[in-house]
Amino acid sequence: MSQMASLEKEITSEDADRAVMYGFLGRMMQAAPSDEDLEVIRHLSVDDSPLGTALDGLSKAAAETSASELKHAYQDLFIGLGRGEFVPFGSYYLTGFLHEKPLADLRASMAGFGIERAEGVSEPEDHVAALMQMMEGLIVGEFGQVASVDEQKRFFTAHIGSWAGHFFKDLSATETSAFYAAIGVLGERFMEVEAEAFAMSE
Amino acid sequence: MMTENWRETMTDKKQQEGADRRNFLKLAGLGTLASGATIVSGGAQAVEADLQGATGYRETDHVKKVYETSRF
Repeated sequence: MSQMASLEKEITSEDADRAVMYGFLGRMMQAAPSDEDLEVIRHLSVDDSPLGTALDGLSKAAAETSASELKHAYQDLFIGLGRGEFVPFGSYYLTGFLHEKPLADLRASMAGFGIERAEGVSEPEDHVAALMQMMEGLIVGEFGQVASVDEQKRFFTAHIGSWAGHFFKDLSATETSAFYAAIGVLGERFMEVEAEAFAMSE
Repeated sequence: MMTENWRETMTDKKQQEGADRRNFLKLAGLGTLASGATIVSGGAQAVEADLQGATGYRETDHVKKVYETSRF
């Protein structure tokens, strides 16, 4: 309980929102949303900030689709038969191959933070969904303690900043699904905000 | 004395940076979106969660642990 209290104190509302954004993007990239998820997304109340407008676009796209449609879209986009339209792994995005140096670098960072892959999972850890969730975990202290902004910045710069923005930008142009295109817009914008915000702290 | 001043300046600078960063994040839409975004984040589960108390966020534990992430 006291741990909860200290957690509340340590995380500002901005950071809590950042964690939510990362968590949300992570979840959306991990699997297609459920009917319940979609219903909630459709009823988001947003403001006219850069991220608010991106969420608004997503909310509108959510109104035009269904969970079963998105299940297929997710498959086509990220899994496909053999290979989806996108291969959202950092190593692949940066080098054209899975399991290259970017993945090795990430594994070293993960070990440093005590982050491990679940048993029985054989896919590489540098999937965009995993990276988003790692940032979320660092911000809220999922891996022991709340990571400082400097630590977050190092992790972001080393493993995300170099490619995730490009990936989301590419996704924003997909014609396969307006919903996932809107996820791309949101992700790209959020990655820009993060990069810029990190640049403000030394 | 010199050192003291230097330290103070650094602390001020750090604090200023922190404030600048927070203000920037606010402008981008973070920090005020909380309730709306929270709901999305956890879907049905998180509807009950209230980000204002980070506890709610934490307790929903909707976060599929990173290391489980690659299970598609």
